[in-house]
Amino acid sequence: MKFLKSLKAMFLSNPKASVGASMVLIIFVLCFGAPLFTDYEPNARIARPHQAPSADHIVGTTRMGRDVLSQTLYGGRTSIMVGFVAGGFVMLMAMVVGISAGYFGGWVDNILSFFTNMVMVIPSLPLMLVLAAFLDQVSPFVIAVIIGATSWPWGARVIRAQTLSIRNRDFIHAAEVMGERKRRMLFFEVMPNMMSILASCLIGTIIYAIMTEATLGFIGLGDPLSVTWGVMLYNAQQTSAIRIGAWWEILAPSVMLASLAIGLALINFSIDEVSNPKLRAQRIMAKFRREQKVEAKKKAAAIRNAGSEPMEAKA
Amino acid sequence: MRYIFTRLGFYFLAFLFAVTINFFLPRMMPGDPISSFLGRLAQSGGQITPETIAALEALYGYSTSVPLWQQFIGYLQSIMVGEWGVSTRFFQPVIEVLGRGTQWTLLLVGGYLLISYTLTTFLGIYVAWKRGTWADSLITVGSVVISSIPAVVMALLLYFAFASNLGWFPTGYAYDPALDPAYTWEFVSSVLYHLALPMIAMVLLGMGNVMGMRSNMINQLGEDFIVMGWAKGVRDRKVMFSYGARNAILPMITSFAMSVGAIFGGSLIIEIIFNYPGLGQVMFQAMLARDYPLIQGYLLMMTIMVLSANFIADMLLFALDPRLRTALD
Repeated sequence: MKFLKSLKAMFLSNPKASVGASMVLIIFVLCFGAPLFTDYEPNARIARPHQAPSADHIVGTTRMGRDVLSQTLYGGRTSIMVGFVAGGFVMLMAMVVGISAGYFGGWVDNILSFFTNMVMVIPSLPLMLVLAAFLDQVSPFVIAVIIGATSWPWGARVIRAQTLSIRNRDFIHAAEVMGERKRRMLFFEVMPNMMSILASCLIGTIIYAIMTEATLGFIGLGDPLSVTWGVMLYNAQQTSAIRIGAWWEILAPSVMLASLAIGLALINFSIDEVSNPKLRAQRIMAKFRREQKVEAKKKAAAIRNAGSEPMEAKA
Repeated sequence: MRYIFTRLGFYFLAFLFAVTINFFLPRMMPGDPISSFLGRLAQSGGQITPETIAALEALYGYSTSVPLWQQFIGYLQSIMVGEWGVSTRFFQPVIEVLGRGTQWTLLLVGGYLLISYTLTTFLGIYVAWKRGTWADSLITVGSVVISSIPAVVMALLLYFAFASNLGWFPTGYAYDPALDPAYTWEFVSSVLYHLALPMIAMVLLGMGNVMGMRSNMINQLGEDFIVMGWAKGVRDRKVMFSYGARNAILPMITSFAMSVGAIFGGSLIIEIIFNYPGLGQVMFQAMLARDYPLIQGYLLMMTIMVLSANFIADMLLFALDPRLRTALD
């Protein structure tokens, strides 16, 4: 009971984060607990093609007679894994490049920044397409690596800027004077102070990676035998699901993709709000103004009551 | 002036970097395009003679007998003079095929930039001004939610609902194929009509910029010169636009330069789904046919467009930010 109450309090104190977190959680439970929600194998032909949603097949079947629900749930596993692997890879690159450029400065910074800017102005989606085209229909893991290798510069730039601003604060100079070792400085002085930026960067890249996987899969670069949301959309498009009116085939992976992205974006949004002092101040001010208004209403009511009482007394 | 030349030099190096990637990628990959072409030819029962191989090597600029660095120099030369190879899907010079697509992509992306940046900038200024109210929460949360929908999903759903199902918008082409291109109202309106739905999809996907503008504006509104403006009794509207927004716009231009690659990437998927005959559509065709010269040409074309957009952003910043000018002179 107490647990529920504290949960409710948390929910009310930050509704955006809570809605986002529950959306993500629900999708995780659905995908990773897929066998609990569907009896069919994702790649088994179990019915006639393009069946409309019914009690047996809650979101219908594909052209190949496969159950859309089970494909969506099992495919989600791969899509989410690709997102997280690619996101982690991007973060690693961005952190190594960003923090060392910002922290060491001088020629290290010059070289790394030059390289970062160079990779950044080369459009990443076309680059990925070229890479994937030459590798010819690649596995989901290779897609994650390709996304990671082409998408780190943005994060590196953000992290570098943040490191630069922390670098010149007094406590870093103090630590230097105390003779702390470089490694300790980086991991125990600089990094903890940019946790919120790192977190929001990580979530941002995960959203980006999941979207990109869907895009690459949809264009037909994924392994057609693997089941991911992108490949599902590709198969639906290839079998002209739209023209036939098989909306369920498009809608199921679309809804999952969109809700996952929206959920993660809402979490990111509230991380920004909590970590940016100016945005936080504005929330506190809004609360203060609301309370002031209530206060003022109470006062007005009290005055009105006070005004009406003598009248009654006179009468 | 020096600033402009430094930037130009950087962009030239970046372009060379892209060319280098383009040159070395196919040579690093397992299996080369020529043997895969020969494989397909053999499958369809074609004759393979030494002349065929020589012709293919000339076509791809790809050879086993010439040293790598000589190939690279030759490749650079042909890129610079505009010989980007011949498309194996359309049997036309790559540069011609790309040129046809580029006009429509520029129309789509250019129109998007104009509409989206005007809309999101004004919305951002407005919600920053009204921060903490219900209008602020509605618009900011709404724009975060809408802009985080993946482009594929947004485009597919809009296409399914409004083009395929309801039939309010066309399902393909950049203009009615029965019309001849001309500067008549009939033709222009047909172009706009075909442009509308892809454009709506892109503008919706770009709504996230409201957040960027909002936080820039909030940061500016906390500055002392804003308080000074109010203390002097400057009217609200003037504080909002001439004091706050003028400064808050500058980081937006930088973020535009950073995101222009992603915008072109987004236009690719939009064009594929809406059957809009831009560069993305050309790329999709090339992808399906594994037309390597065209795919590589596409990457170069995209790099050129992104670099030009970056250069325009640099010039804009230079013109708008007096601090930048004085610091450099």
